Amino acid sequence: MKTVFLGNFGGRPGVSEAILAKTTEKIDSTVLFDLDDSQRLIPALADAEIVVSHIWKKDFPEAPRLKLLQSVAAGIDLIDVPSLPAGVTVCNVAGHEQAIAEYVVMTMLAWQHRLLDIAAAFRGGVWSTGGGAGGGPTHGEILGKTIGIVGYGRIGREVAKRAIGFGCTVIGANRSPVADKGAASEIYPLSELDRMLPRCDVVVVAAGLGPETTRLIDAGRLGVMKPSAFLVNIGRAAIVDEEALYNALKEHKIGGAAIDVWWQYPTPAEPDRRGSQLPFHELPNVIMTPHCSSATDGARDRRFGTVAGNLDRFVRGETLNNIVLQT
Amino acid sequence: MKALFLGNVAADTAQGIRDELPPGLEVVIIADPADLLRTPEAAAEADILVGNHWLADYPPAPRVRLVQSVATGVELFDLAALPKGAAVCNAFGHETAIAEYIVMAMLALHHRFFEIAGEFRAQGSWRSSWVESGAPHGEVRGTTLGIVGYGRVGQEVARRAAPFGMRVLAANRTPRAPDPAVERLFPLADLDRMLPLCDTVALCTALGPETTGLIDARRLALMKPGAFIINIARGQVIDEDALYAELRDGTLGGAALDVWWQYPNAAEPQRRGSRHPFHELPNVIVTPHNSGWTAGMVRRRWDEIAENIRRFARGDALINIVTTI
Repeated sequence: MKTVFLGNFGGRPGVSEAILAKTTEKIDSTVLFDLDDSQRLIPALADAEIVVSHIWKKDFPEAPRLKLLQSVAAGIDLIDVPSLPAGVTVCNVAGHEQAIAEYVVMTMLAWQHRLLDIAAAFRGGVWSTGGGAGGGPTHGEILGKTIGIVGYGRIGREVAKRAIGFGCTVIGANRSPVADKGAASEIYPLSELDRMLPRCDVVVVAAGLGPETTRLIDAGRLGVMKPSAFLVNIGRAAIVDEEALYNALKEHKIGGAAIDVWWQYPTPAEPDRRGSQLPFHELPNVIMTPHCSSATDGARDRRFGTVAGNLDRFVRGETLNNIVLQT
Repeated sequence: MKALFLGNVAADTAQGIRDELPPGLEVVIIADPADLLRTPEAAAEADILVGNHWLADYPPAPRVRLVQSVATGVELFDLAALPKGAAVCNAFGHETAIAEYIVMAMLALHHRFFEIAGEFRAQGSWRSSWVESGAPHGEVRGTTLGIVGYGRVGQEVARRAAPFGMRVLAANRTPRAPDPAVERLFPLADLDRMLPLCDTVALCTALGPETTGLIDARRLALMKPGAFIINIARGQVIDEDALYAELRDGTLGGAALDVWWQYPNAAEPQRRGSRHPFHELPNVIVTPHNSGWTAGMVRRRWDEIAENIRRFARGDALINIVTTI
């Protein structure tokens, strides 16, 4: 079965090997990292029955034999569905939700406990920042806090399961009705988000990116949050209005934020490009990470296992898992 | 009836619980214990002593019947210098805050949080991102946590850790009832059998003869290579030299240390917590003995202290009695 591992995720060195190590069926694989290498892309796609990639561009060459586009990510926002040939099944992967839930709990703990600030000061020899042996202001805790999850799906359920162990209350908002609310106590329709936000000590943006969610968290919605609210964005940057968030943080209209997803990404020409045009990295009330909340060894293993399982199923003609859509 | 609030923490406590104290109780606050030597009558007349320590060379306090610690540990009270028959009580309210710290530190160590967040802020480095071919970091799911000392703090840690899909083990000196959050409870005597199973070891014991130097070079060597250790108990539970060597050499993966082998004093307010430069090791999270010091903990502790003082004044049974002198 002709399979192309494509792009800066599917075609990254080591990825195809790790996935193929988990397959049992025979897979004839080609690896292509550079999407702009049309000399190799044209023949590869001409033959491909399976493509493993989280990207499908409008100007891709013909792929007449393609039947399965298997993403190695959860979001399909980088797949241009209209330009796929007819008869293609698009599948995604999960397995990231547990890792991201750990990140969400970690950052909200670190924020309340002022971990980064206190540890940095103490590295410098200052005892008097944490309220303990050396005096100084006390810090916060998450016991009794309310966490609101915008886009309540797999990630939300995993966060809820962990957060209730800390004595937190978890609520959520979701576009479509939620059949399994897990440990959350209440789910609002997304249209009533403005009623949920003022209740939250922590707001977690976990929605997919789409027309309804682009700039969903704008100046108005930041304005209805508590002045102490902590925003965690592990969804997509474009769900949050960049300038409005920067201003809200700078002017302390909300307490702080943990940002893992960014409005712009590095390029080969600019490998250390900042994630925003605005200097979020100069704000003391921001915890910032380079889109790595899901990049755990365990998530990688679970995702690759899902991809391998689907490749085997496809070869054997069995029903696929994690089908997102069919063209 | 007179209550002496001695030391900084007790002075803050007195302010915090002022409105909750019984009417008629006379409150004397001495924030700097050195002042007690100049006002020995404060000791001589006190029925209640609220503080975190008592030294043998303090003026006599013959009337004291309640020694109310502002902390959980009472090891800094020289009980031989206080009257026979006095009840010694401690205070809690810290266990949930410390449990949060332990889970936070465990997550931060596995996720390489300081390294990744630090580099990204300082240099804009995407090195650890999927965007680059960054090595994945760890997660706590599927790993094993070993809790040494399964008391109030340890139990709060277990209930928070279990929903992460972790295997939780614990070791305790005295037997404990089975607990659904813990897969296996070892006697402390079998600690050597538990340590090699753990990816993270959290020290939650009290300091006593059995736990001083408990985690020595031999026991550190029993831990998995790359394992993490978290200490919120007391510095002396771990052998300082051995721990430093293991962390410096990378035999252990990292540590979060909130308690120390030495503390600052008036002459040396920035005194380091150890004779070794733990603060220079990148794989060590260092905090100034503040894991329990949340605003919520202070309030919970004040409430317990005020409750005990009211009980004492009414002649009711006390709570949190550690011992009677």
